[in-house]
Amino acid sequence: MAVPRMGLALACFVANALCFCAWATASQQLPLDLAGRAVDPFAAGSKLTVLVFVRTDCPLSNRYAPEIQHLARRYASHGVNFWLVYPDNAETPAGIQEHLAAYGYTLPALRDAHHFLVRMAEATVTPEAAVFRGSKLLYHGRIDNRVQDFGQTRVVVTAHDLEDAIAAALDNKPIPPAVQAVGCYISDLR
Amino acid sequence: MAWATITLRGPLAAQKPAAGHARGSGAENFPQNPTFSHDVAAILYANCVQCHRPGGAGPISLITYEDAKRHARQIAVVTEKHFMPPWLPDPEVVSFADQIHLTEKQIRILGRWAEQGAAPGDLSQAPPVPQLAAGWRTGKPDLILTAPAGYVLPAEGSDVYHNFVFKILVEGTHYVKAVEIHPGNPKVVHHANILIDRAHSAERMEARHPGSGPGFDGMDVEMESDVFEPEGHFIYWKPGTPVWSEPENMTWRLSPGTDLVLNIHMRPSGKPEPIQPSLGIYFLDKQPTLKPMLLQFDRDDALDIPAGARNFEVADDFKLPLAVSVYAVYPHAHYLGKQLEAYAVLPDGSRKWLLMIRDWDPAWQGIYRYPQPVSLPAGTVISMHYTYDNSDENPRNPNDPPKRVTAGNRATDEMAHLSLQVVPAGPSRGGDLRLVLQEALARHKLARDPNDYGANYNLGALLLSRGQPADATFYFERSLTQRPDSATVLNSLGAALLQSGRMENAMTRLQQAVAADPEYVDAHYNLASALALSGRFGESAQQFKWVIERKPEDADAEARLGSVLAAQQNYDMAEAHLRRALILDPNNTVAKENLRLLEQLRSRTNDHAR
Repeated sequence: MAVPRMGLALACFVANALCFCAWATASQQLPLDLAGRAVDPFAAGSKLTVLVFVRTDCPLSNRYAPEIQHLARRYASHGVNFWLVYPDNAETPAGIQEHLAAYGYTLPALRDAHHFLVRMAEATVTPEAAVFRGSKLLYHGRIDNRVQDFGQTRVVVTAHDLEDAIAAALDNKPIPPAVQAVGCYISDLR
Repeated sequence: MAWATITLRGPLAAQKPAAGHARGSGAENFPQNPTFSHDVAAILYANCVQCHRPGGAGPISLITYEDAKRHARQIAVVTEKHFMPPWLPDPEVVSFADQIHLTEKQIRILGRWAEQGAAPGDLSQAPPVPQLAAGWRTGKPDLILTAPAGYVLPAEGSDVYHNFVFKILVEGTHYVKAVEIHPGNPKVVHHANILIDRAHSAERMEARHPGSGPGFDGMDVEMESDVFEPEGHFIYWKPGTPVWSEPENMTWRLSPGTDLVLNIHMRPSGKPEPIQPSLGIYFLDKQPTLKPMLLQFDRDDALDIPAGARNFEVADDFKLPLAVSVYAVYPHAHYLGKQLEAYAVLPDGSRKWLLMIRDWDPAWQGIYRYPQPVSLPAGTVISMHYTYDNSDENPRNPNDPPKRVTAGNRATDEMAHLSLQVVPAGPSRGGDLRLVLQEALARHKLARDPNDYGANYNLGALLLSRGQPADATFYFERSLTQRPDSATVLNSLGAALLQSGRMENAMTRLQQAVAADPEYVDAHYNLASALALSGRFGESAQQFKWVIERKPEDADAEARLGSVLAAQQNYDMAEAHLRRALILDPNNTVAKENLRLLEQLRSRTNDHAR
């Protein structure tokens, strides 16, 4: 997908008097695609952007791979763009490629080594999902209630929080309150 | 509820240990600034890295400082919640051998370390990384069995319980001291259980449930077993548990024709996972002198759990007719199980706890072995007491909204089982004391529920093995009322009738057994015997030939086919089969006796000819 570069940085720093300096700092912190190019996932002109934070060695986010794919496919025709975001600065593009292939992901992947997107999404764990309209954060939290707590997995999923948030946002209805996700702590990746 | 039970929940219940763990202050030697090298590595190496290492059963490696730091807070949280290391029994109530358990102090060290930023300390001073051998940890197995390839665990969905059937190709009888289970893909397998199947029960089940790839799904599998030799061993794998070697005097028998059934529980990982388990079997060719049995309690009859019930209780109390030593315990319930307890009240009124699980989770179930066998004198009352949560507050509830749940083999059904591995103590007076226990247990269940399928069947089988076919017939008939189409019951009933001399009835039941399950070898064998005894030699020979085609190593079938052919005066063929029976089993008495008769017959015929 052709993505105009730096749109996101501009959006964030345009009001700053020290725009140029901040820009320079920010540009090194922007998420990169697997080819190493800085990418602004909000600039694609989609109705909604969904970031799903994952890592290659988190069993909790790995188990969600099929569900994440299902949701992305289901909402692609509604103008909702899904991105996988890897907040792990130790992860290489090759490692991520391998991970995408193993789990059958067809979504675009971003490396967020400096946690630029983590901060924008206020994400704390993997897997965690964030829904944006433009670059405005509407929802961040769990995907559904399968994982109740560490070691407490529901046999039947009864709450589909992310899907409800997407549906509400598309209908311009109030976004249901978010529930904290259970997963691997992003704060461990420093 | 219609059953009566002696409950010991009154004043004794007050002695129940309190939940939670004692917190020692330990302030004097609690590290204020714990580091990986000085404090954390030792804890991880002793308790975590058996699984959490590259290629291990755990999803995350915790070998190096970098590894551990990448999960520091997660380690702190999962240990604080007692989710890791996974160990269901409350160690404050009963300690088991090989238990994995962190002390409160260790948990606080991990918490403090994460909180303070996961400092490395002087990494050159870190303890050495434990060396964990790859491959067979018990050494080179005497026999390796590998499941056929082709089973793939789906990427998503609920947990899967699958059974692989291993056919054993051994010559002669061996005694097994250990089985090392390689679950095929330890990262998705939560636990694996082996059942010894001497009657090809699972093979027939597999034939009835053709799926994609080898094996068949199912949480619980029912085995027919030979009552003469109750299978008294737990053979088991779960992450992090060392391979169990039986004591030298407690080996178990493996002979040609035995199948091993590996029941594995798997959790989808997010990607399709091919699973190809293998077993390494270690022989110690020494017959056992101690023969354990599994004392299996269940209250499945009492499981009728209303939707929404938060604290549904079942209990059982069984008085031991003789003294036993208890070696291990295996509790079993499905997703609604909550608190699982077992204890013994000795004749002097004292109580010994056998098990306390406060938050049951079938995903982490295990076999628990006592550090020393627990001695229980005759007259001890063994009690199980289980509670179930069928409300929507139980995250594992498989039904949304909750609905009424009764007993059954499916994951969405429930179970209330408790198995104790025991060795009867005391003078045997020539008989097998296990049969005394087995009979007492069956009668205990029948006193509660005269229609209990399993108890009727087991008692029938026991009486049949003891040479009381008429009594056995009574119980088999009662068990048949519960499962009128069961090939297993029909076959056993047929055998009992046959031994009682009720030929007509025997024939009918055996024909029904074969119709119910056309691939049931033992039923064909019994039918062949009934036909032979009725003088229908041609049909009998047909049946025996069918049996031998499927079980070419069956010496008894060869011997009986030989006898039937001799009865038809087909002496040459008869001799061939009788000789083959003796090759398979040099001590086969039927073959020996008939060969002797055959030679006499022939010499007489020759005399006539002269």
